[in-house]
This record gives sequence, C-alpha cells and structure tokens, in this order.
Amino acid sequence: MNLTRLSLREISGNRFRSWVVVICAFLVAGFALATFLIAQGAGNSLRLSQERLGADILVVPEGTERKIEGALLMGSAAQVRMPAVNLELIGQVPGVEIATPQLYLMSMTDSDCCSVPDMFMVAYDSATDFTVEPWLEKELGRQLRVGQSVGGTYVFVPPGDEDIKLYGYHLSLEGNLEPTGSNLDATIFFTFETAYAMGETSLIEAGQPLIVTPGLISSVLVKVADNADIAQVATAIKQAVPGVSPITSPNLFDSFRDEIAGQRLAMTGILAVVLVLSFALIVLVFSMMMNDRRREIGVLRALGATRGDVLRSLLSGATVLGAAGGVAGVFVSGLVLYFFHARLTTALGFPFKFPSIPGLVFLVVLGLAVALAGVVLAAFVPVYRISRQEPANSMRE
Amino acid sequence: MSMVSLRSATKTYEGAKNGAAVTAVDGVNIEVEHGEFLVITGRSGSGKTTLLNIAAGLVRPTSGEVYFDGSDLWKLSDAEQSRLRSERIGFIFQFPSLLPSLTVLENVILPASFTGRDGSAARAAELLDLVGLADKHRAYPRQLSAGQQQRVVIARALINEPSVLFADEPSSDLDEQTEREIMGLFKQIHGEGAMTILMVTHTGQLVSYGTRAIDMAAGRIVKS
Repeated sequence: MNLTRLSLREISGNRFRSWVVVICAFLVAGFALATFLIAQGAGNSLRLSQERLGADILVVPEGTERKIEGALLMGSAAQVRMPAVNLELIGQVPGVEIATPQLYLMSMTDSDCCSVPDMFMVAYDSATDFTVEPWLEKELGRQLRVGQSVGGTYVFVPPGDEDIKLYGYHLSLEGNLEPTGSNLDATIFFTFETAYAMGETSLIEAGQPLIVTPGLISSVLVKVADNADIAQVATAIKQAVPGVSPITSPNLFDSFRDEIAGQRLAMTGILAVVLVLSFALIVLVFSMMMNDRRREIGVLRALGATRGDVLRSLLSGATVLGAAGGVAGVFVSGLVLYFFHARLTTALGFPFKFPSIPGLVFLVVLGLAVALAGVVLAAFVPVYRISRQEPANSMRE
Repeated sequence: MSMVSLRSATKTYEGAKNGAAVTAVDGVNIEVEHGEFLVITGRSGSGKTTLLNIAAGLVRPTSGEVYFDGSDLWKLSDAEQSRLRSERIGFIFQFPSLLPSLTVLENVILPASFTGRDGSAARAAELLDLVGLADKHRAYPRQLSAGQQQRVVIARALINEPSVLFADEPSSDLDEQTEREIMGLFKQIHGEGAMTILMVTHTGQLVSYGTRAIDMAAGRIVKS
C-alpha cells in the first residue's frame, strides 16, 4: 500500500468534494480551450480569407466597407453595387498591376428556386481574376465554362440532385476550394457570364428574379506592381475614382479585428473569473479535506511518512481529480465548438477556423495544463501547510 | 547510552489558554534505558502525552534536547527523522488511529511500506495471529470493536520490529477485560524481546505492568 493509492482511495471515499474539484477543472479546461481555440481560430480565419482573396487592395463603394467585409467573412447580405466604369479608372492608376471585378449575389431563403438557401455567390471575371483562376489552373487545368462553378469547402450538391439549383438555374459544381474558416467556405464562385445566364433564367423560372445588371459590379480586387507602395496606390485610387473606398490588405477586416479583440478580451476575462473562482473553491475544498484528514496525516507522519511523501500523495490525488475534470472539459468543449460552430460564429459575430491537428493538440494540451496547474496550485496551499505541521500537532483535536 | 534521553525538555504552547502561554512540559530530565518498560502516570493535563510526543520526536520541544539511542533527534533532517520513526519506533495512540479506507491487513502493513522491507504481508499475518485477529485480515476498521481496533494498532506498531514502543493510554476506552488482554499483550511483547516501552496512563493500576514508573503534575516529574 503506497500513499498515492491511499490518496486515491480517499478520493473515491469523498465523492462530493471530489466532484467539486472535478467540475472546477472541467470548467477551467473547457473555457481555456474555447478561449484559445476561438482567439486563434479567428485570427486564422482572417488571415486565410485575406490570402484567398489574394488582393493587395479591395476597392468597394464608399460607406460599404463593413458590409462587404461582413459578406466575405460572415455571408451577410451585401447587395452593393458600383459602376463598372470604376474598374477602368482603377486600372489606369499608376502602380496598379491587375484590377479584377467581383459581383456579390445571394441565393434566397425559403424559396423553391434555390436548392441551397442563403448562399453567398461571387461572380468573377475569368480574364483578369486572381482569386479562383490560379486554383482552377492548378486543379482542373482549365477555366470555368458557363453553367459551371466551384465552391468553398462546405458547398455541396444537395443529396439526390445532380447539380445546384439557384434561381431556377442549374449549376454544376466542379470542385471545392481549401477551407478558410470564414463564409468563403460556404461561397460559390462562377463567371460573370454564368451570372447573366442565371439572371435571365430567373425571369422565367424563379418567383423572384435575380437582378444582374450589366455595367454594375460590387468590388474591384487590385494587385499592385512589385515596386509600388500599397498605401500610396490606395491613396491614388481614392483620388482618381470618386465614391469608392480602397481597403489595403493589412487593413482588410479591420472592423472584425476590433470585434475579435473585444471578444477575446471578454473571453479572457471570463476565463480569469472562472479560474479565480475555481481556485478559491479548490483551496476551500482542500482545506476542508485537510482539516478532516489532519489526524490521519499526523498518524502517517508518525508511522514514518516524510513531508515529501505526504505532499506527493495528496497532490497526486489533486492531479488525478484535475486531470479527470480537465480531460472531460476539453472533450466537451471541443465537441460543443465543433458541432455548434455555425451557431457560435453567428453569436460571436466573426468566424473562427479550427487549427490543424498538431495545432489542435497543442491547444488541448494547453487547456488541460491550465486546468491541471490551477487545481494542483490551489491544492498545494493547504496541502503544503499540513505537510509542514509537526505530527503531534496534526493529531491534536 | 540511554535509549531515550530528555534533557531540560520544555514545551510551551503560545496562546493555548485564553491567549496565555501554557507550559505543558517544564524542564523535564529523563533517561530511559534499553529494555525498560516505563509507565508515565499523571492526571489529565499533567503533560504526560506531550512528554511522550517529545520523547518520540512528534513535537519539537520549545527548549531542551531529545536523544534517541544517542542521536539528537532535532539535528536530524525530516527524512532521517521519518526513517527513524518507521524503522525503530512503534506507536500506539490513544485515539482510533487506523485508516478507515484500508483493510486490517493493509493498516498493519502500512508502516512497512515506508521502510521497503520484504515479507511484510507474512509478518502482518503473524502479528494479527498474535493479537488474536487472524480471521479479520480483510475487515475494515469500522467492522471491528474498539478493543479489536486497538489490537490491530498494536500489530501495526510491531510490524517493523521497533526498538522502542510509545503507547499513549492504549487501554483508555476499553472495558476492564479487554484492558487486561491488551496489557497482557504488552507484557508478552516486552517479555519476548529487548523492546523498550514508554507507556502513558492515567490509571495507577497499570503501573504494575512496567519496570519503572514516573508520576507527572503540572508538566514536571513529581515522583520517580
């Protein structure tokens, strides 16, 4: 019979207090993992979304910056239009290497016109595009034809169907892009020609037609020349083209960055509160446990247990409880984040992408470590105190 | 060289009684020789339990020195003190001191786990046989009577074949018949080997079991 086994038996013999410690560890680990995952995942989403667009500057109608960012990241409706002539003006600005237009459309909710409701649709110009075309070149070795599309990682043909029906128009899905964790994963891309064809079909096939007016676009994506300064080119665009707002890539999704920073702060605050309350509760629980076991610990010391033996034995009990609660906490937290990802994204107001497996393992271990360290440190205070007592004092009533 | 030696041992508890200091043991000098069975008597609060705890190294005296077989106890490290307690000292406490989550056999073996000696299970079985509890190995302390529990404590105290046995009121909560049986066990243990025994009791009748007796009052030895 070693002292660690004795300590574990004590745990099973004192279920209520053990459960309190397990629940504290559960909450700390769960909140820690959620905080780390959401904070890091949001950053990843923004970075990958930026990379997906591949633009140095995104030019949008003035005053619609937030709307466009929201459409790209969250899929919120953005019926934003500006004259296509702006494309030519932007293309003439010194330092602009490529300028390519995009048109943002939305499929409809609760309508039999569309087999996929609320889908964000992006029409692009295949001649100048640098967002989808490089991927098409690499994966399909060709451009999209009229009636063809590619989707984000979550776009799929509805089960039982052969293609995706939007506004009564049948689109084939030619492939899926890599995940970004943002709404771009649920976005479908096709050419302007397809958009016009869809608009024409919708006049006959859909109850509410899709209006695609030639000569109007939603945004212009700009790549600047190698020797040009992005900020200077953006300023030049602003001066040359009235009524537009150029967003440089470092500043793209800035409004979301602020929101993410705020939410991260709030979540860190909640985590700190949970940690402090749990710490206090565990100190209290272990103080009560130590008080109840004072005499027993005195007896153990009298029989030959060293201070170190007592400390290790009692802390091993705390470690087992912390690990049990911590593992359960990260497991449940992970499941909730995974299965309620879409709802959480809507509730938080920004997207977050799960990290790669090694990254996820690191965050899980970090969450567990926070819980375990919290429990062991909290237990250490009363355990250390009693382990330092003289045996006779521990045994006194 | 004495087995246990206390020199001017004093123990004062600060703020123990209405904030005032209480001197439980007051400048006691005592030499306990190898193989001696010393009975310490005295009324409640006379300081006899504190004296026993000081002699066993369970509490540090406020002043004075404590020697165990020539070693100054309080110059030893915690690990050395613990090793000495597990290998050379057996304890019998006044209160129920068995661990409730362990079986009788596990309780008896417990001190052996600190020394790492082999064959402790067989030795524990022998001792339980000696104290008349051969059929209670798997029982838990709560399933035993007070007398049976105290017999298990005696078996536990003997598991590491200690040089000295410290017993604090070992029969205080027992009926007369059980007390006689327990004291008979002590007599037997003392008679069988060269074990030194220090026993505290408030019952003057038990003095006859020892080879020497001292009487305490107000923290001092008043009769030797």
